[in-house]
Amino acid sequence: MKKSVLITLVAALVISAAGYAQSTDKWVSSKSHIKFFSSTPAENIEANNMVAVSTITKSTGEVVFSVPMQGFEFEKALMQKHFNSNKFLDTKNHPKTKLKASITNLSEINFSKDDTYQVNVEGELTIKGVTKAIKEKGTITVKGSTVEVQSKFNVTLADYGITFVDGKPSTNIAKTVEVTVHAEYQPE
Amino acid sequence: MKKKKWFKIITIVGLAGLFIGGSVALYLFNMPHRDVQSGKTDFSLTSNEIVSEYLANKDAANQKYLATDGDSKILEITGTIAKISENYDGNKVVLLKENSDKAGVSATFTPETNQNTIGLSTDQTITVKGVIRSGASYDDDLELYENVILEESDIVKK
Repeated sequence: MKKSVLITLVAALVISAAGYAQSTDKWVSSKSHIKFFSSTPAENIEANNMVAVSTITKSTGEVVFSVPMQGFEFEKALMQKHFNSNKFLDTKNHPKTKLKASITNLSEINFSKDDTYQVNVEGELTIKGVTKAIKEKGTITVKGSTVEVQSKFNVTLADYGITFVDGKPSTNIAKTVEVTVHAEYQPE
Repeated sequence: MKKKKWFKIITIVGLAGLFIGGSVALYLFNMPHRDVQSGKTDFSLTSNEIVSEYLANKDAANQKYLATDGDSKILEITGTIAKISENYDGNKVVLLKENSDKAGVSATFTPETNQNTIGLSTDQTITVKGVIRSGASYDDDLELYENVILEESDIVKK
Protein backbone atom coordinates (compact mmCIF):
# COMPACT_ATOMS: atom_id res chain seq x y z
CA MET A 1 0.00 0.00 0.00
CA LYS A 2 2.68 2.44 1.04
CA LYS A 3 4.86 1.42 -1.88
CA SER A 4 2.14 2.03 -4.44
CA VAL A 5 1.49 5.50 -2.99
CA LEU A 6 5.18 6.28 -3.28
CA ILE A 7 5.32 5.06 -6.87
CA THR A 8 2.28 7.15 -7.77
CA LEU A 9 3.82 10.20 -6.13
CA VAL A 10 7.15 9.78 -7.90
CA ALA A 11 5.39 9.17 -11.21
CA ALA A 12 3.27 12.29 -10.75
CA LEU A 13 6.38 14.32 -9.95
CA VAL A 14 8.29 13.03 -12.98
CA ILE A 15 5.35 13.68 -15.30
CA SER A 16 4.79 17.20 -14.03
CA ALA A 17 8.52 17.99 -14.19
CA ALA A 18 8.67 16.70 -17.76
CA GLY A 19 5.58 18.69 -18.62
CA TYR A 20 7.07 21.81 -17.06
CA ALA A 21 10.36 21.44 -18.93
CA GLN A 22 8.53 20.89 -22.19
CA SER A 23 6.17 23.80 -21.79
CA THR A 24 8.86 26.32 -20.96
CA ASP A 25 11.29 25.16 -23.65
CA LYS A 26 9.14 26.37 -26.50
CA TRP A 27 8.01 29.98 -26.82
CA VAL A 28 5.23 31.04 -29.17
CA SER A 29 4.48 34.40 -30.74
CA SER A 30 1.24 35.40 -32.37
CA LYS A 31 1.91 39.09 -31.74
CA SER A 32 4.21 40.14 -34.54
CA HIS A 33 4.94 42.85 -37.05
CA ILE A 34 6.74 42.20 -40.31
CA LYS A 35 7.37 45.14 -42.60
CA PHE A 36 8.88 45.29 -45.99
CA PHE A 37 10.22 48.48 -47.45
CA SER A 38 11.24 49.14 -51.02
CA SER A 39 12.98 52.34 -51.98
CA THR A 40 13.64 53.61 -55.51
CA PRO A 41 14.08 57.13 -56.89
CA ALA A 42 10.51 56.79 -58.24
CA GLU A 43 8.80 56.00 -54.92
CA ASN A 44 8.95 54.30 -51.54
CA ILE A 45 6.65 51.34 -50.98
CA GLU A 46 5.86 49.89 -47.57
CA ALA A 47 3.74 46.90 -46.54
CA ASN A 48 2.89 45.69 -43.06
CA ASN A 49 1.87 42.27 -41.79
CA MET A 50 0.59 41.68 -38.25
CA VAL A 51 -0.47 38.03 -38.50
CA ALA A 52 2.72 35.93 -38.59
CA VAL A 53 3.19 33.08 -36.11
CA SER A 54 6.61 32.25 -34.73
CA THR A 55 8.30 29.89 -32.28
CA ILE A 56 11.64 29.80 -30.49
CA THR A 57 12.90 26.60 -28.92
CA LYS A 58 15.31 27.59 -26.17
CA SER A 59 17.19 24.32 -25.86
CA THR A 60 17.98 24.02 -29.57
CA GLY A 61 17.92 27.70 -30.61
CA GLU A 62 15.53 26.93 -33.42
CA VAL A 63 13.55 29.94 -34.71
CA VAL A 64 10.59 29.49 -37.06
CA PHE A 65 8.36 32.10 -38.70
CA SER A 66 5.26 31.34 -40.75
CA VAL A 67 3.95 34.42 -42.56
CA PRO A 68 0.50 34.47 -44.25
CA MET A 69 1.31 36.43 -47.41
CA GLN A 70 -2.18 37.86 -47.94
CA GLY A 71 -1.75 39.59 -44.59
CA PHE A 72 0.55 42.24 -46.13
CA GLU A 73 -1.32 45.53 -46.25
CA PHE A 74 -0.30 48.39 -48.54
CA GLU A 75 -1.42 51.99 -48.55
CA LYS A 76 -2.52 51.68 -52.18
CA ALA A 77 -5.08 48.99 -53.03
CA LEU A 78 -3.63 48.53 -56.51
CA MET A 79 -0.17 47.78 -55.11
CA GLN A 80 -1.69 45.17 -52.81
CA LYS A 81 -3.42 43.54 -55.78
CA HIS A 82 -0.15 43.50 -57.76
CA PHE A 83 1.74 42.06 -54.79
CA ASN A 84 -0.73 39.17 -54.47
CA SER A 85 -1.07 38.51 -58.21
CA ASN A 86 0.48 35.55 -59.98
CA LYS A 87 2.95 37.93 -61.64
CA PHE A 88 4.44 38.87 -58.29
CA LEU A 89 4.09 36.64 -55.19
CA ASP A 90 1.21 34.41 -56.34
CA THR A 91 -0.19 34.27 -52.82
CA LYS A 92 -3.15 32.09 -53.75
CA ASN A 93 -0.80 29.24 -54.64
CA HIS A 94 1.93 30.16 -52.15
CA PRO A 95 -0.05 31.47 -49.16
CA LYS A 96 2.78 31.30 -46.63
CA THR A 97 6.41 32.31 -46.39
CA LYS A 98 8.56 30.26 -44.04
CA LEU A 99 11.73 31.12 -42.18
CA LYS A 100 13.46 28.25 -40.44
CA ALA A 101 16.72 29.08 -38.75
CA SER A 102 18.96 28.28 -35.82
CA ILE A 103 20.65 30.66 -33.41
CA THR A 104 24.37 30.00 -33.91
CA ASN A 105 25.56 31.76 -30.72
CA LEU A 106 23.00 30.16 -28.41
CA SER A 107 25.51 29.80 -25.54
CA GLU A 108 25.72 33.61 -25.25
CA ILE A 109 22.01 33.94 -24.47
CA ASN A 110 20.67 33.50 -20.99
CA PHE A 111 16.90 33.16 -21.30
CA SER A 112 16.49 33.46 -17.54
CA LYS A 113 18.32 36.79 -17.24
CA ASP A 114 16.67 40.06 -18.33
CA ASP A 115 18.87 41.63 -21.01
CA THR A 116 19.17 42.32 -24.74
CA TYR A 117 21.32 39.82 -26.58
CA GLN A 118 22.82 40.04 -30.07
CA VAL A 119 22.00 36.88 -31.99
CA ASN A 120 23.22 35.35 -35.22
CA VAL A 121 20.88 33.06 -37.10
CA GLU A 122 21.48 30.75 -40.01
CA GLY A 123 18.89 28.80 -41.90
CA GLU A 124 16.51 28.83 -44.80
CA LEU A 125 13.94 31.26 -46.14
CA THR A 126 11.20 29.96 -48.45
CA ILE A 127 9.29 32.52 -50.53
CA LYS A 128 6.98 31.54 -53.40
CA GLY A 129 8.18 27.94 -53.18
CA VAL A 130 11.87 28.85 -53.57
CA THR A 131 14.20 28.07 -50.64
CA LYS A 132 17.47 29.93 -50.10
CA ALA A 133 20.06 29.86 -47.36
CA ILE A 134 20.14 32.95 -45.14
CA LYS A 135 22.49 34.27 -42.49
CA GLU A 136 21.19 37.25 -40.52
CA LYS A 137 21.61 39.17 -37.29
CA GLY A 138 19.04 40.27 -34.74
CA THR A 139 18.42 40.88 -31.07
CA ILE A 140 16.58 38.92 -28.41
CA THR A 141 15.30 40.84 -25.40
CA VAL A 142 14.42 38.83 -22.31
CA LYS A 143 12.10 40.67 -19.95
CA GLY A 144 10.45 38.68 -17.20
CA SER A 145 8.23 36.05 -18.74
CA THR A 146 8.32 37.48 -22.26
CA VAL A 147 10.93 37.36 -25.02
CA GLU A 148 11.08 39.86 -27.90
CA VAL A 149 12.87 39.39 -31.19
CA GLN A 150 13.91 42.16 -33.53
CA SER A 151 15.75 41.92 -36.82
CA LYS A 152 16.29 43.82 -40.04
CA PHE A 153 17.63 42.23 -43.18
CA ASN A 154 17.57 42.48 -46.95
CA VAL A 155 15.89 40.15 -49.41
CA THR A 156 16.91 40.15 -53.07
CA LEU A 157 13.69 39.45 -54.94
CA ALA A 158 15.34 37.82 -57.98
CA ASP A 159 16.76 35.10 -55.68
CA TYR A 160 13.17 33.89 -55.24
CA GLY A 161 12.23 34.16 -58.89
CA ILE A 162 10.45 37.50 -58.41
CA THR A 163 11.51 39.66 -61.36
CA PHE A 164 10.04 42.55 -63.31
CA VAL A 165 11.14 42.93 -66.88
CA ASP A 166 9.14 45.96 -67.93
CA GLY A 167 6.43 48.40 -66.97
CA LYS A 168 6.04 50.47 -63.83
CA PRO A 169 7.06 47.72 -61.36
CA SER A 170 10.50 47.40 -63.00
CA THR A 171 11.31 51.01 -62.19
CA ASN A 172 9.28 51.51 -58.99
CA ILE A 173 10.12 48.37 -57.00
CA ALA A 174 13.62 47.96 -55.61
CA LYS A 175 15.58 44.84 -56.56
CA THR A 176 16.41 44.37 -52.89
CA VAL A 177 13.82 45.07 -50.21
CA GLU A 178 14.39 45.67 -46.51
CA VAL A 179 12.49 43.38 -44.14
CA THR A 180 11.94 44.37 -40.49
CA VAL A 181 10.80 41.75 -37.99
CA HIS A 182 9.42 42.32 -34.50
CA ALA A 183 7.76 39.59 -32.44
CA GLU A 184 6.78 39.02 -28.82
CA TYR A 185 6.80 35.50 -27.35
CA GLN A 186 5.13 33.82 -24.41
CA PRO A 187 5.86 30.34 -23.04
CA GLU A 188 3.64 27.80 -24.82
CA MET B 1 -11.27 75.82 -94.23
CA LYS B 2 -11.88 72.05 -94.38
CA LYS B 3 -8.38 71.37 -93.05
CA LYS B 4 -8.97 73.68 -90.09
CA LYS B 5 -12.17 71.86 -89.18
CA TRP B 6 -10.38 68.49 -89.16
CA PHE B 7 -7.66 69.94 -87.01
CA LYS B 8 -10.25 71.11 -84.50
CA ILE B 9 -11.95 67.68 -84.34
CA ILE B 10 -8.66 65.85 -83.87
CA THR B 11 -7.64 68.24 -81.12
CA ILE B 12 -10.93 67.81 -79.28
CA VAL B 13 -10.84 64.01 -79.60
CA GLY B 14 -7.19 63.95 -78.52
CA LEU B 15 -7.84 66.13 -75.47
CA ALA B 16 -10.87 64.03 -74.50
CA GLY B 17 -8.78 60.85 -74.82
CA LEU B 18 -6.03 62.31 -72.69
CA PHE B 19 -8.53 63.39 -70.07
CA ILE B 20 -10.23 59.97 -69.93
CA GLY B 21 -6.91 58.11 -69.92
CA GLY B 22 -5.55 60.36 -67.18
CA SER B 23 -8.72 59.92 -65.12
CA VAL B 24 -8.54 56.13 -65.40
CA ALA B 25 -4.86 56.12 -64.41
CA LEU B 26 -5.56 58.42 -61.48
CA TYR B 27 -8.51 56.28 -60.40
CA LEU B 28 -6.45 53.07 -60.53
CA PHE B 29 -3.60 54.68 -58.63
CA ASN B 30 -5.89 55.96 -55.88
CA MET B 31 -8.35 53.06 -55.98
CA PRO B 32 -9.61 52.58 -52.43
CA HIS B 33 -9.27 49.25 -50.59
CA ARG B 34 -12.32 47.04 -50.72
CA ASP B 35 -14.67 47.76 -47.81
CA VAL B 36 -15.01 44.26 -46.35
CA GLN B 37 -17.80 45.15 -43.93
CA SER B 38 -20.13 46.54 -46.60
CA GLY B 39 -19.25 43.68 -48.97
CA LYS B 40 -21.44 40.64 -49.50
CA THR B 41 -20.69 37.64 -47.27
CA ASP B 42 -19.49 34.72 -49.42
CA PHE B 43 -19.73 31.93 -46.82
CA SER B 44 -21.24 31.59 -43.33
CA LEU B 45 -19.65 28.84 -41.23
CA THR B 46 -18.81 27.85 -37.68
CA SER B 47 -15.15 27.98 -36.59
CA ASN B 48 -15.28 24.17 -36.30
CA GLU B 49 -16.53 23.81 -39.90
CA ILE B 50 -13.84 25.92 -41.56
CA VAL B 51 -11.03 24.49 -39.41
CA SER B 52 -12.19 20.93 -40.25
CA GLU B 53 -12.37 21.80 -43.95
CA TYR B 54 -8.81 23.17 -43.90
CA LEU B 55 -7.36 20.30 -41.88
CA ALA B 56 -8.96 17.79 -44.26
CA ASN B 57 -7.52 19.40 -47.42
CA LYS B 58 -5.81 22.78 -47.15
CA ASP B 59 -4.96 23.05 -50.86
CA ALA B 60 -8.58 22.59 -51.92
CA ALA B 61 -9.70 25.06 -49.22
CA ASN B 62 -7.13 27.65 -50.37
CA GLN B 63 -8.39 27.38 -53.94
CA LYS B 64 -11.94 27.88 -52.65
CA TYR B 65 -11.36 30.77 -50.27
CA LEU B 66 -8.28 32.70 -51.47
CA ALA B 67 -8.36 35.10 -54.44
CA THR B 68 -5.45 35.72 -56.80
CA ASP B 69 -5.51 39.48 -56.23
CA GLY B 70 -5.75 39.14 -52.43
CA ASP B 71 -9.41 40.24 -52.23
CA SER B 72 -10.27 36.81 -50.84
CA LYS B 73 -13.63 35.50 -49.63
CA ILE B 74 -15.61 37.42 -47.03
CA LEU B 75 -16.64 35.03 -44.26
CA GLU B 76 -19.03 35.10 -41.32
CA ILE B 77 -17.73 32.78 -38.63
CA THR B 78 -19.65 31.74 -35.53
CA GLY B 79 -17.72 30.35 -32.59
CA THR B 80 -16.77 30.53 -28.93
CA ILE B 81 -14.33 33.20 -27.77
CA ALA B 82 -11.17 31.53 -26.48
CA LYS B 83 -8.91 34.58 -26.20
CA ILE B 84 -8.97 38.35 -26.70
CA SER B 85 -5.67 40.14 -27.30
CA GLU B 86 -4.19 43.14 -29.07
CA ASN B 87 -1.68 43.38 -31.93
CA TYR B 88 1.20 45.87 -32.42
CA ASP B 89 -1.18 48.25 -34.22
CA GLY B 90 -3.37 48.38 -31.12
CA ASN B 91 -6.16 46.46 -32.91
CA LYS B 92 -8.16 43.80 -31.09
CA VAL B 93 -7.64 40.14 -31.98
CA VAL B 94 -10.43 37.73 -31.04
CA LEU B 95 -9.77 33.98 -31.23
CA LEU B 96 -12.83 31.80 -31.82
CA LYS B 97 -12.02 28.21 -30.95
CA GLU B 98 -13.84 25.22 -29.52
CA ASN B 99 -12.04 23.34 -26.73
CA SER B 100 -12.23 20.13 -28.73
CA ASP B 101 -10.70 21.68 -31.90
CA LYS B 102 -7.00 21.71 -32.77
CA ALA B 103 -7.19 25.19 -34.29
CA GLY B 104 -9.53 28.15 -34.37
CA VAL B 105 -10.27 31.36 -36.23
CA SER B 106 -8.27 34.45 -35.28
CA ALA B 107 -10.08 37.67 -36.22
CA THR B 108 -8.26 41.02 -36.26
CA PHE B 109 -10.43 44.12 -35.86
CA THR B 110 -9.80 47.65 -37.18
CA PRO B 111 -9.52 51.13 -35.60
CA GLU B 112 -13.20 51.60 -36.60
CA THR B 113 -14.45 48.28 -35.15
CA ASN B 114 -12.21 47.76 -32.07
CA GLN B 115 -14.79 49.42 -29.81
CA ASN B 116 -17.33 46.72 -30.69
CA THR B 117 -15.24 44.17 -28.81
CA ILE B 118 -15.70 46.03 -25.52
CA GLY B 119 -17.58 43.88 -23.06
CA LEU B 120 -16.85 40.60 -24.85
CA SER B 121 -15.68 37.78 -22.64
CA THR B 122 -14.26 34.30 -23.14
CA ASP B 123 -16.73 31.42 -23.58
CA GLN B 124 -19.23 33.79 -25.20
CA THR B 125 -20.56 32.75 -28.62
CA ILE B 126 -20.38 35.42 -31.32
CA THR B 127 -20.41 35.79 -35.11
CA VAL B 128 -17.68 37.83 -36.80
CA LYS B 129 -17.37 38.97 -40.39
CA GLY B 130 -14.01 39.48 -42.07
CA VAL B 131 -11.78 38.66 -45.02
CA ILE B 132 -9.80 35.41 -44.91
CA ARG B 133 -6.01 35.85 -45.16
CA SER B 134 -4.90 32.27 -44.57
CA GLY B 135 -6.21 28.90 -43.49
CA ALA B 136 -5.62 26.44 -40.66
CA SER B 137 -2.98 23.73 -40.93
CA TYR B 138 -0.46 21.80 -38.90
CA ASP B 139 3.04 23.18 -39.42
CA ASP B 140 5.83 20.63 -38.97
CA ASP B 141 8.44 23.30 -38.25
CA LEU B 142 6.37 25.29 -35.74
CA GLU B 143 5.05 21.98 -34.37
CA LEU B 144 1.76 23.82 -33.97
CA TYR B 145 -1.66 24.07 -35.53
CA GLU B 146 -2.02 27.48 -37.16
CA ASN B 147 -5.38 29.26 -36.94
CA VAL B 148 -7.51 30.55 -39.79
CA ILE B 149 -6.71 34.28 -40.07
CA LEU B 150 -9.43 36.88 -40.68
CA GLU B 151 -8.74 40.61 -40.91
CA GLU B 152 -10.83 43.77 -41.32
CA SER B 153 -13.24 42.13 -38.88
CA ASP B 154 -16.34 43.29 -37.07
CA ILE B 155 -19.03 41.60 -34.99
CA VAL B 156 -22.32 40.81 -36.70
CA LYS B 157 -24.03 38.96 -33.84
CA LYS B 158 -23.44 38.50 -30.14
